[in-house]
Amino acid sequence: MRKLLSYLKPYKGKIVLATLLMAISAACDLLLPTLMSNVLDKGVYGAEEMDTFPYILKTAGMMLVTSLVSLASVAGGYWVVYHVISGYTWSLRSALFRKVHTMTLSEVGRIGASNLVTRSTHDVGTLNWVVSMLCGNLVIIPLMFLGAVFLCMRKDFWLSVVIVCAVPLLIGAVLLMSKKIAKLWEVSDEYCDKQNDLVRERLRGVRVIRAFNREANAHQRVTESTRIMSDNIIRANVSMSIIDPVAAFVLNLAALLIVYLGGVRMERGSGLTAGDVFAIVQYINIILGAIVSVSFAIVVLPHAKVAAKRLSQVTESTGLEIDRPAQGLHFAGDIALDGVSFTYPGSSLPALSELKLHIRAGEWVSVIGGTGSGKTTLAELLLAFRTPGEGKISFDGKDAATLSPKDIRNNISCSLQKSMLYAGTVAENLRMGKPDATDEELWAALELAQAADFVRERPEGLSFKLEQAGTNLSGGQKQRLAIARAILKDAPIYIFDDSFSALDFLTEAKVRKALNEKLAGKTRIVITQRVVSAMHSDKIFVLSDGVLVGVGTHEELLERCSIYREIFLSQTGGGAV
Amino acid sequence: MSSVEPKEAVEATEPTETKKEKSRLIDDTFRRLLREIRPLRGWILLSALLCLLLIGCAVAAPELMGELVDKLYSWSKNPTPGLARSLLPGVGLLFGVYALRASLSYGNSFLLNNIVTRYFTAGLRIRLSEKLRRLPVSYMDQTPTGDIIDRMQDDVGSMADTIYGIVEILLTGFLQMTVIAVILFHTDWRMAIPVVLLSPLSVFLSAKMATLGEKHWDKHFNLGGELTALAEEAYTNYPTTKAFCQEEALQAKYDELSERHQRNGIFGNFLSSIVQPVIVFVDALAYVAVAVLGGWLILHRGVPIGTVVTVILFARQLSEPLERVAFGLSFIQQVKGAAKRVFTLLDLPEEVDPAGKVEGKTAGTVAFEHVDFSYDPKKPLIRDLNMAVKPGQKVAIVGPTGAGKTTIVNLLMRFYDIQSGRILVDGRDVSELSRSENRRQFAMVLQDTWLFKGSVAENVGYGCPNVTREEIERVCDQAYCDHFIRRLPQGYDTVISEDSTAVSSGQKQLLTIARAMLADRPILILDEATSNVDTRTELLIQKAMDRLMGGRTCFVIAHRLSTIVDADLILVLRDGRIVEQGTHKSLLNQKGFYAELFQSQYAI
Repeated sequence: MRKLLSYLKPYKGKIVLATLLMAISAACDLLLPTLMSNVLDKGVYGAEEMDTFPYILKTAGMMLVTSLVSLASVAGGYWVVYHVISGYTWSLRSALFRKVHTMTLSEVGRIGASNLVTRSTHDVGTLNWVVSMLCGNLVIIPLMFLGAVFLCMRKDFWLSVVIVCAVPLLIGAVLLMSKKIAKLWEVSDEYCDKQNDLVRERLRGVRVIRAFNREANAHQRVTESTRIMSDNIIRANVSMSIIDPVAAFVLNLAALLIVYLGGVRMERGSGLTAGDVFAIVQYINIILGAIVSVSFAIVVLPHAKVAAKRLSQVTESTGLEIDRPAQGLHFAGDIALDGVSFTYPGSSLPALSELKLHIRAGEWVSVIGGTGSGKTTLAELLLAFRTPGEGKISFDGKDAATLSPKDIRNNISCSLQKSMLYAGTVAENLRMGKPDATDEELWAALELAQAADFVRERPEGLSFKLEQAGTNLSGGQKQRLAIARAILKDAPIYIFDDSFSALDFLTEAKVRKALNEKLAGKTRIVITQRVVSAMHSDKIFVLSDGVLVGVGTHEELLERCSIYREIFLSQTGGGAV
Repeated sequence: MSSVEPKEAVEATEPTETKKEKSRLIDDTFRRLLREIRPLRGWILLSALLCLLLIGCAVAAPELMGELVDKLYSWSKNPTPGLARSLLPGVGLLFGVYALRASLSYGNSFLLNNIVTRYFTAGLRIRLSEKLRRLPVSYMDQTPTGDIIDRMQDDVGSMADTIYGIVEILLTGFLQMTVIAVILFHTDWRMAIPVVLLSPLSVFLSAKMATLGEKHWDKHFNLGGELTALAEEAYTNYPTTKAFCQEEALQAKYDELSERHQRNGIFGNFLSSIVQPVIVFVDALAYVAVAVLGGWLILHRGVPIGTVVTVILFARQLSEPLERVAFGLSFIQQVKGAAKRVFTLLDLPEEVDPAGKVEGKTAGTVAFEHVDFSYDPKKPLIRDLNMAVKPGQKVAIVGPTGAGKTTIVNLLMRFYDIQSGRILVDGRDVSELSRSENRRQFAMVLQDTWLFKGSVAENVGYGCPNVTREEIERVCDQAYCDHFIRRLPQGYDTVISEDSTAVSSGQKQLLTIARAMLADRPILILDEATSNVDTRTELLIQKAMDRLMGGRTCFVIAHRLSTIVDADLILVLRDGRIVEQGTHKSLLNQKGFYAELFQSQYAI
């Protein structure tokens, strides 16, 4: 929480300025009722006895100036306040984004990508919104309150007691109510989420629903949940709408009490004038306005608290990657794993256990195994996304634990299992691995990855814009672009993690052939579930439940490794061997 | 992931709403909105009545207060005993007015909330849900799910706000303004003039600021969407970002976008915040004008003091309804966009459905005759497709990605309609049948294992709502599901959903097989899964599928060699055309495209 506030530090001067401007405006607003009561008191009521017109003119002029100053200073105040808030929000967002990219993959996985998105957008937004709603009012209300009390005390001590009692009482009541309302809103939000899930489920399953003729049932489910949701929204709304009338009622009563007590005190001859009473009543109106406008913000305060708490989880996260400066190393491509084990946090079984393997520079190896066998964990260990719990990974004999993750990643080019493309043009996506690549080089890489045809089909060619997550491409097209990007980057080691699964056999065969030519002499690690993707490589590693159960060529493994044989038979039906 | 979603269709031009033409307050959308709320008019009238009473209170309160203050003033000039007591009746009356005002205001929002949310918002949402039943699948394919949900939830919610805007804010505001204006003129027309002239000024100013602010808000929200998308992308692509050392590049992009987002936010916030001070200012102007004019009138025209005081008090009262009207106007402007989006969805053309019925049990003959189809008229996909399938035959559909394999499923199930030619089931043209009758002859098992949130038993029994538990268990046993279902925490009553982790993706596949088995339809459509299943489950799935296929006409989008080798008929698709058909042996002997496809998997 303190950390979140520390981002406000650079804006100290501006905050002081804004407070000052707001204070000036508040002072003007407080002055206005006095001037108004003067106009009435001395000007209008005095008019019968003598010519008070010059006095009225003078006071009116002062009122005009005062309200102009008030308007100007409040506008200036808001202007500065919003600059501060937006600067603050910006730096918070930026810091959050930066922080995420210094976290380890485990930490990102622990918090979850979608949670991180909610934090850097929705939670920051909520904080921003609440702060901007409160900001002006937070300064103004206490100022107004203190000023009004001060002026009242000058006029009449006992009348000011009424205000001193009424306002805190009211604010306390609003706070109390807001707590209950916040809870109601939480429940109603929950039902909104449920309804959304239901509609989403229905839209996604439209084919199955229609295939089984269950549209009527789907509609019925949505209808029922809509009704429940409405009831909850109504409950929350109705509870919320009580604040406004109650606040007004309490303050109106206070005003009434002041008029009555004012009368009583005037009669006793305390020196109180009618104009004074009138001014105090005006003050109460000002306070009322401020409280009503802040009451809505107060209701959302609990949201801000939740948001701040969730943000702190990210800003104060300690799961950070080792940050060592890159030394610009160039690897030959020899990789060795010695007794490497890895267990996911919170899991009792290791994802990889005592893995011992050696990949020579320039070798083409495949890693095969079913889901949960630990294939992808292996890729993540190699890319230094995770560090082994036990054992040692070494590149060219150098312990990976002593290297900068940046150096390791600069020496590996990869195409990962999923989420691999960015919104932007084809060229931008490809150049990620080689920023200075020429268009010819891009086309050559596309050609090798069998992706040139569909890029060429677009009138925009290399400038064809991909949607977020490449949703305007098919699965196979996405994979081929990722392969092209991997080929384009110059590196001694290439990793393809499940990169051919959406390609048909013919296309895959062509890609395989192209890779054989283009990546000859480079270390190539192909991680796959498909036997046909692996069977021709120099060496195949068979993983099962995190254990290396077989190493060898296709023929050797067919003979020796029962798990490999099982996979082979199930996928090819024992067809042509 | 999704199996039958035609990417070709997604790329086709989306029905984007063109940037909204600049805004008159009363346009077609507004008139439609008024039409939509017509059924509620009785309630709205009742609410208006309450509002009138409220205005009565709002007008009476300052009047009474003025009298009380007046008493204080006259006492200062002419002190007589019994001031406090003389105040009491007025104080009591005012107390009553305040109490009435508070309860009326609460009562009115209670009423409005109940009517609007229960009848208007919920009603619209239910109508939208009803609409979804009759929209073609192509609409769902082309429209992001989030977009439809937004319309049903957020947009409808905003529309409800307009009603509050119209009733509570505009109606009350205008009424109150009118009443005050009338009283002002009635009291003294000379002093009323500056007040009445200045109030439109503040309405005008605040409306101007609202539209100005709206532009910035629009931009702010759009940029906010982009920012979310960017964060989403960056966080889900985290491994790739790291692997290609793109952290700094992304950070720069994010910071720049975030800055533009904030800049627009500043203007929007600023403009919304100063609307109120501006109104207060104009209000003060009116007060000054009345005071000066009033003083002059007292001195030179002998107008009584009480009149001037009343006018002054009422002039003060004008700012509240003014603010209401200003907010109401900007409110309505804001939500018209939402209303438009909702109406667009409600007005979309629906599927026409013939009434033809199937008599008796289908044998399972299927024929395609000269079928043409494409998702995008500019890109023909399936051209002159012909095939004839006999009852009980197993048809394997093979071909490269994008050849149109899943399109065949879309056409058989009539998720999409063919553009020319005929599809015949048992010799009958399916376009004469109602869609549900047609679909009753098919069962599907897709790669995309859609399960809804409900118990395992409900999911398996999805196609037959009245089935018994015994029946479900028997089928699950046949489909190799029984063993893992029994190990779930609540067995058959365990609640599962699309993203539940209680069952693995392979087990989900088995459940969909059981679902299809239970539905017991004469024709079967299968899409074989390619990945994400461990070897043992994979074997079970194969066995279960074999059992399911027994005796039925089957269309299989085949990935597994064993399925293809056993097929009675293999259709080789390439670019939407059947280039070869026959059995595995005969096709290999042809040494054509199929042979090439088949050999390629073993090529180095």
